[in-house]
Amino acid sequence: MDPKEVVEHLVALKVMRLTKPALISPKIVTCDSKDLPGNILNNYLKDDATSVTQMETLAAGQFLLLPQSFGNIYLGETFSCYVCVHNETNNPVQSVSIKADLQTNSQRILLTTQQNLSPTMLDVDETLSDVIHHEVKDLGTHILVCEVTYMSNYNTLASFRKFFKFEVMKPLDVKTKFYNAESDDVYLEAQVQNITSGPIILEQVSLESSQQFNVKSLNEVDDGISVFGDVTLLQPQESCQYLYCLTPRENITKEIKLLAAAKNIGKLDIVWRSNLGEKGRLQTSQLQRMTPDYGDIRLTFEKLPSKVSVEEPFDFQCKIVNASERTLDLILKLRSLQDSSLLWCGISNRKLGPLEPGQSLFINLTALPINTGLCNISGVSLLDLFLKRTYDYDDLASVFVY
Amino acid sequence: MDNKPSLSQYFGDKEVPPASQFFDEIGTSPSDMIQSIYLGETEGNQSASGSIFPQNMSASFSQQKVPEEMTFTNVLPTVSGSTAVPAASLPDPSTFFDTIGPEPQIVPTKSTIASPSILTEALDGLSIKNQPVDKEADRRRDAWLPNEEAKKTLMKAQSSPKGSFFPEREVLTMPGLVLEEELADALQEVAVKYLGVSSAGSRGVVRAEHVSRDEAGLRELLRTGYLRAAVNLTHVLISAAGQGVGRMHRPTKHTPRSLQLWLTRFAVMLRIKLTEPLLKEAEPFGDFNKPDMFYEFYPDSYEGRTGSLVPFSLRLLVAELPAHVGKPEEAVDRLYAMLDTIQTMLSNLREGKTEDGSATISEQDKTESIRLWMGRETRVNHSLVNCAIAMKDYRQAARILTTLQQQSSSPGQKRAICSALCRLWLLAGHVRAAMTCLDNAREARHHICPTPDVREYVDLGLIDIAHGKYQEAYNNFARAADQEPTNIMVANNLSVCLLYMGRLKEAIAVLQKAINSDPERGLNESLLINLCTLYELESSKTNEKKINLLRMLCKYKNDTIPNVLECLKL
Repeated sequence: MDPKEVVEHLVALKVMRLTKPALISPKIVTCDSKDLPGNILNNYLKDDATSVTQMETLAAGQFLLLPQSFGNIYLGETFSCYVCVHNETNNPVQSVSIKADLQTNSQRILLTTQQNLSPTMLDVDETLSDVIHHEVKDLGTHILVCEVTYMSNYNTLASFRKFFKFEVMKPLDVKTKFYNAESDDVYLEAQVQNITSGPIILEQVSLESSQQFNVKSLNEVDDGISVFGDVTLLQPQESCQYLYCLTPRENITKEIKLLAAAKNIGKLDIVWRSNLGEKGRLQTSQLQRMTPDYGDIRLTFEKLPSKVSVEEPFDFQCKIVNASERTLDLILKLRSLQDSSLLWCGISNRKLGPLEPGQSLFINLTALPINTGLCNISGVSLLDLFLKRTYDYDDLASVFVY
Repeated sequence: MDNKPSLSQYFGDKEVPPASQFFDEIGTSPSDMIQSIYLGETEGNQSASGSIFPQNMSASFSQQKVPEEMTFTNVLPTVSGSTAVPAASLPDPSTFFDTIGPEPQIVPTKSTIASPSILTEALDGLSIKNQPVDKEADRRRDAWLPNEEAKKTLMKAQSSPKGSFFPEREVLTMPGLVLEEELADALQEVAVKYLGVSSAGSRGVVRAEHVSRDEAGLRELLRTGYLRAAVNLTHVLISAAGQGVGRMHRPTKHTPRSLQLWLTRFAVMLRIKLTEPLLKEAEPFGDFNKPDMFYEFYPDSYEGRTGSLVPFSLRLLVAELPAHVGKPEEAVDRLYAMLDTIQTMLSNLREGKTEDGSATISEQDKTESIRLWMGRETRVNHSLVNCAIAMKDYRQAARILTTLQQQSSSPGQKRAICSALCRLWLLAGHVRAAMTCLDNAREARHHICPTPDVREYVDLGLIDIAHGKYQEAYNNFARAADQEPTNIMVANNLSVCLLYMGRLKEAIAVLQKAINSDPERGLNESLLINLCTLYELESSKTNEKKINLLRMLCKYKNDTIPNVLECLKL
């Protein structure tokens, strides 16, 4: 309250923040019935209104206790408060109304009251009250300004204001990492850290993909059970790591230009709950990936088996995409490197092309593994006839030979 | 009730007849009590209490249905008018004082009703010599395993020739009182300050001076709710037992009685939140593992008796203590150490041996002992859950509760634990898990009654609150109130809902009605905090309403609320 306020007003304004109530239990002190205090203390416990019958010694009560302090408030939570105007005089007070707004660093929000917008008369000892809800969307200092207007004894409108200041804090820290796979899929690792002061439950973490991608969550096992078990409870400072696989939509995969431009991945949507279900919801801004630099030519292997038998030739495909702005004339070279476990079958120095910009080309290749173990597909080179430049592709894929 | 002294006033509670309370203390507790509180008190009900008394007394004392006036603990003349006890047998404070010495003397019985002192001791279950006692029950109750170090000393004590055993200082437990000043009646003090001397009265002082200065008097103070006076009386009794102020770190003689006095003192201090001095006074006891805490340490006084002098409740209380001063991690360590000993004893019992594994026992003894110790195991587990909740380690709390639920033997127990799990998850904010637990609780409830009861409606209401649906929550609480209109907790929850629904005036009315309809239970600390919070929200002129509450407290409550000013926000 403002100590400078010397004017005695006819009505009093009280505001209370309504965080969720708490569940309270009694002080649990028990004795054996043969002990000196006998069952006297046990009976105190049993008769306590806050104890739960037949579970007296467990501190998980059913008795609700109203919030006793303002507490912390975090971005994404809902700020609720009870605003109450009371007639402090022995006569009715006319034309009483409340107005509340919330000032943040950037804006001033009029808080819509559910009722009582029009001035009303307050009889002796009557109150005018309202519950205000507001979803907090800004960080930093907020000031709740409540203004009460009423008809004074001199038939003039009198009013006074009260200010309630609070700080909105950041609840979560989200760190992301991207991996661009050879298959054009993008993997997103999202680390969600609880930076509030108490434990929270992550009720829902989902990735809403942008127009360019289809998303698959990799956080559940086949039957929809979360890999984190039943509980995604995060103690303060703990974090949880989510993994998503994003596949570019078909119209994009076809065009290497579009693929290279597909930077927007999507937004993470996080819903959490804390004490007695206090809910918060946050959405990240659009997550952006670093697109891979494909250079002039992009070469990938496709239809490659994961394991092959030793000394049996196997087939796979090689996809060559022209990512440059000009038509390419290429020569495909297949070299069997000295310590390689693979011998190439087929023709080396094959001439490919011309390949128009953006176009792709599939070539069937056959190789013979001569040693067992994990073996790199190496020895593929492309020679650009125009620039006389050779591109080696030695570590693009591997195959298990048994 | 008015201010004129009446029987019911002196015995605290109208609902519970004094006689039944009286007899609860000697081990005839109703079985539901055993199950619900997990006190683990399982010793033979009628038979045990019967055997405590000399044969000629059993006729008048071994039954529950004794006339209510049979109250030896009261010494006020107002009561004696209606009592069947001859005036001569009423306790004389001076004789009580004689029995305070460290070695209780057994006064020979003169009349058929027995002298007060013998009765007191019999009731305490602490009689040591010349009393026909249930040896199995004693062994079971007192059983505890000394650690390796203590074992060595105990072996020495047992094998030394009589009078030749002189223990080292290091093996001794040397407690002493720390809290020196006499505690004033807290409610009385507040009342004097806010209501004036005249209306506050001085009942507390009178009460404390009129009780006998012994265990019976102590119990009388506890029963009537003069908790600070009770702490003062333990001060007197413990000092007389040679463990008073300044005795800390000095050798002393422990008896089961002295430890019972400490238990009473600590339990009450904990209730009224005198935790700081309590911690200091409990410190010399450590974890009660010094050899002088075992009967085997005193082969001359307690020949053949085994186990610990320390009551289980005291051991548990001291183990839990750090949790009450914001160090639940320490309490967890101590509680797990206790659990370890209990499990060792249980495995001995399951093999048909005594708790310490030294001898074999009968099948009935085995069953009884296992029942007792499993009850105590559950009680320790509950304390562990409470510590985990205090640490907000809901995962751990849920893990222990889930194990307990799997072990639960009856649908009633299973249901109670599922319901507790539901609320545990609500505390954590895991609404979905809470709903699953409630479903499990409901399924178990079907085995008990076909339709939802108060507990289920309240749990449903709490889930609604978690979802922010206060109207639905209100409806569920209202259904609970239909079943139990006088349930204080339900009324309180209705009131909380009303506030969140924007109906402050009604919220206040509900709480006031609850208090007026059952002042004894309604004048609860937490309910008072809620009501005064609402008063303060409603208006800036709250003093008169709070003073009214204070008047009611003076009328209906004694010195049981640790923090009257905080509750009333005065």
